Amino acid sequence: MAEARALAEQLPQHSYVINLHADRYRYLRAFCAAVIAGQCTLMPPNRQAHTLTQLAETYPDSYVIGENGEEPAFSSTSNAEVPTVDSEQLCAIAFTSGSTGTPTPNNKYWYTLEEGAKGNARLLLGNNTGHLNMVATVPPQHMWGMETSIMLPLFAPVAISNKTPFFPQDIADAVNELPAPVALVSSPVHLETLLKSGVKLHGLKQILTATAPLSRELAISLESTFAARVQDVFGCSESGILATRNTSTEELWNYADFFDLYLSNDGIRIRADHLPEDVLMPDIIELVGDRQYRWLGRHADMLNIAGKRGSLADVNHRLREVNGVVDGIIFAREEQPDRLAALVVAPGMDVSDILSRLKDRVEPVFLPRPIYKVDMLPRQETGKIAVKAVQDMFNRIHASKAN
Amino acid sequence: MVAQTENEHALAALIIEALNLEDVTPEDIDPEEPLFGDGLGLDSIDALELALAITQKYAIQLKAEDANTHKAFGTLRTLNAYIEEHTG
Repeated sequence: MAEARALAEQLPQHSYVINLHADRYRYLRAFCAAVIAGQCTLMPPNRQAHTLTQLAETYPDSYVIGENGEEPAFSSTSNAEVPTVDSEQLCAIAFTSGSTGTPTPNNKYWYTLEEGAKGNARLLLGNNTGHLNMVATVPPQHMWGMETSIMLPLFAPVAISNKTPFFPQDIADAVNELPAPVALVSSPVHLETLLKSGVKLHGLKQILTATAPLSRELAISLESTFAARVQDVFGCSESGILATRNTSTEELWNYADFFDLYLSNDGIRIRADHLPEDVLMPDIIELVGDRQYRWLGRHADMLNIAGKRGSLADVNHRLREVNGVVDGIIFAREEQPDRLAALVVAPGMDVSDILSRLKDRVEPVFLPRPIYKVDMLPRQETGKIAVKAVQDMFNRIHASKAN
Repeated sequence: MVAQTENEHALAALIIEALNLEDVTPEDIDPEEPLFGDGLGLDSIDALELALAITQKYAIQLKAEDANTHKAFGTLRTLNAYIEEHTG
């Protein structure tokens, strides 16, 4: 806290800060310093040049800290007093990709973050009031990483590793260097490779996973291999962490006691005292029983690949913005819904041109592969494109390429 | 295009198999072109899948904390050199 206070005095005088620190300790310190200095932390959905440029244009009074934007030097003072933060202070903005190419900002006031963190501590850590060491494989700039690895250490007896391990051996090293009990915050993609790699983890008590559905088989294998409880967590940037389930034994999701879910004209909405406004549930669910729901699927437009939520309409919008692309469609592959493919009408461009133009405007996991060039898309007279027609056309080209 | 060694060719085949890359043959992978980002355009999920395939075939665990791994994942050549060095 003394370091955060000292750093706060040295921060450039701007309203917004883009905190790109990969080291979680530095991220946390700079986040606290920004709160003390009355600055709002912007949470870029990714580190791509295009995203950062767009963010800097939307928020001209912003600067970058961490990565290439070096932190100002400071000398720690002896003042480690925990500051009082105005509960109405805007402390962070998370972004969800809209369907038009412009990300929608979600304001996180101090009361939203503080009350959310206290509630999440009850929800995720239960009556466990003892000390817990935590390792997270998700970056602090991601809402799931922020709520667990940044906010829990501030409001619960949780200590966080400064690392963001990636490969299975990295995760094992980060977990094994900490005294038990350890909680691992991760995602199904990381957990699956962790399990298959055969690495050994010691002192693991709890695995918290979010960003994509965890299969029951994976949950059961993880619990038996690592002797840790696996908790699947559901949330979105707008509401934060909402519900959990023990996937190995439960089908229904239990939502936290500080949320209410209700049916509105346009779908199910999420209400909570700590949210500035009610939020539309991003996925399709069915309310059942007492504070429980069944997850049925995602809306057709919603993408969620490797923890990156995005909009299919947005990705398509970005494809059609590419100079030289006359028409085109990006869609989820039938037999591999976690991967996207594209049919593109672009005379005069080859596939590698199209791909390289897309690379700086689209998240890597949303890049279509393969991209097939076609003379025209199977549009109906109204201009609409049927999903079936696109899949058929793709499958035909795909089959002929395979031969 | 620079010529591949025998081991590089085998690794290229593993990359293609592990990642289901279509329209790519082992010969297409230039040993000195970047695998991620600009070259083959692989992403972070691919990195995890590829690391797992390498663990299963060569019995070595990759570590990103190790600065060498960042360099190793640069190209087919550097990745192959990393594997050769760690398998002895």
